[in-house]
Amino acid sequence: MPPVSDGEDLLVQRLRNRDEAAMTIFYDRYSAALYGVIMRVVKKEEEAEDVLQESMVKIWNSFASYDASKGRLFTWVMNVSRNLAIDKIRSRQYRVGTRTQPLEDSAAVREAAPLTFRPEHIGLQDMTKKLSPDQQQVVDMLYFGGYTQSEVAEELNLPLGTVKTRARAAIKVLSKLIR
Amino acid sequence: MDIQQYIESGILEEYALGLLSTTDRAQVEQTAAAHPEIQRELQEVVSGLDTYGQAHAITPPPAMRERVLAGWQQAIRATPAAEPSSPTMQAVPPAAPIGVPTAPVTSESGPVVRPISSAPEPIYTAAPRAGFSWLMAASVALLLSVAGNYVLYNRWQNTESALFAAQNDQARFAAARQASERRVISQDRELAVLRDEQYQSVLLAGTPAAPSAKARVLYNPATKAVYVNVRSLPVAPAGKQYQLWALDNGKPVDAGMLATTTAAGDSLQQMKNIGSAQAFAMTVEDAGGSVSPTMSTMTVLGKML
Repeated sequence: MPPVSDGEDLLVQRLRNRDEAAMTIFYDRYSAALYGVIMRVVKKEEEAEDVLQESMVKIWNSFASYDASKGRLFTWVMNVSRNLAIDKIRSRQYRVGTRTQPLEDSAAVREAAPLTFRPEHIGLQDMTKKLSPDQQQVVDMLYFGGYTQSEVAEELNLPLGTVKTRARAAIKVLSKLIR
Repeated sequence: MDIQQYIESGILEEYALGLLSTTDRAQVEQTAAAHPEIQRELQEVVSGLDTYGQAHAITPPPAMRERVLAGWQQAIRATPAAEPSSPTMQAVPPAAPIGVPTAPVTSESGPVVRPISSAPEPIYTAAPRAGFSWLMAASVALLLSVAGNYVLYNRWQNTESALFAAQNDQARFAAARQASERRVISQDRELAVLRDEQYQSVLLAGTPAAPSAKARVLYNPATKAVYVNVRSLPVAPAGKQYQLWALDNGKPVDAGMLATTTAAGDSLQQMKNIGSAQAFAMTVEDAGGSVSPTMSTMTVLGKML
């Protein structure tokens, strides 16, 4: 498993002990990462705040299902937030129904980040520079759009094998960046 | 089993994205545990996606912190105290993907697991000493709160002044950097002139009025550009300034005023363009310059070779 960064195991211990004060530390430590991903999916600050709070509740309530031996806390909480955010836009789509463009949100997910989206992490630009536009499109759809690889293939009219190759290549590039 | 084929099937990506069913997830974990190569690949996929997520980090607006933390606290207090059907909880296998929450598509929170210690405290309504202990508790809470506020206030003050100092530092560095950038640009320009072979160098030697004075004019007959480089010149009296003249067939042509810094030998200065000249000279004139040179104040003179 990836090395556990300093303090993470202590935080996990405190959360496991239902230490409510630890949630403040949790917020200070992870809110930027969680909020960034949530914003990227739901795009509206107000909604992002709701999802962030829901994420905190869910993380707290289902903390027993987190198994530190199988992955970092970061990975787990990012997935909780990401999934809640994706659910949010899906329910929004459902609510809006087919009257308006049903693909509006999914199309938005595939676009390059809008200008108003200014992540503070300097690494993002370097990172996206390393990905080809094709690769980035696929990773964005998978990560922020909640698509499966077959759904991506269908949406982009590509053979499934191509989508898998692109996703794999893109993730390889990303994983190299942290070394 | 063909390991490469398994890796390329895309199942590890689906695992990391949380798209697999519980059964498939457990299977991937088992396979990874049995094959180090797959295990390594899986870790790579997970950390690659983590990096991607991390790169999109945005610090939420500061005001959001209080709201979210307060909202969270309210929500966990409001959660129904006891989950029904606790017996099943033991039966459920420890759902534990690599950081993948169970049921990604359901928006309802997962199984709410609460330790007994967080069950609502029993309330003693009619206890005789209730009033007193409430008072005690309230006083202690107030004291703690005052102390806490004091500590926080001090920290806030410290942070504020640290921030202020950091901002000052930053402004100073920015200014210093700009200054050195300007220097580099002007030195680059000087260097370009000095290295350019088209420039003819004219040595201006001191006249009997100022024997130790020395300067050099760089003249480019093609572009007509003129630069002056002072080696040493007597300090001009107050209200006076050095003026450069080009002598074309014996006729003096104004070539511009030397800045004080140039006269002090600081840097090259570009003067007015001169069409044609055989010699250059400098005189001391009233600040702003004269139409014709005051011959008695001529300080340096030199002929072109």
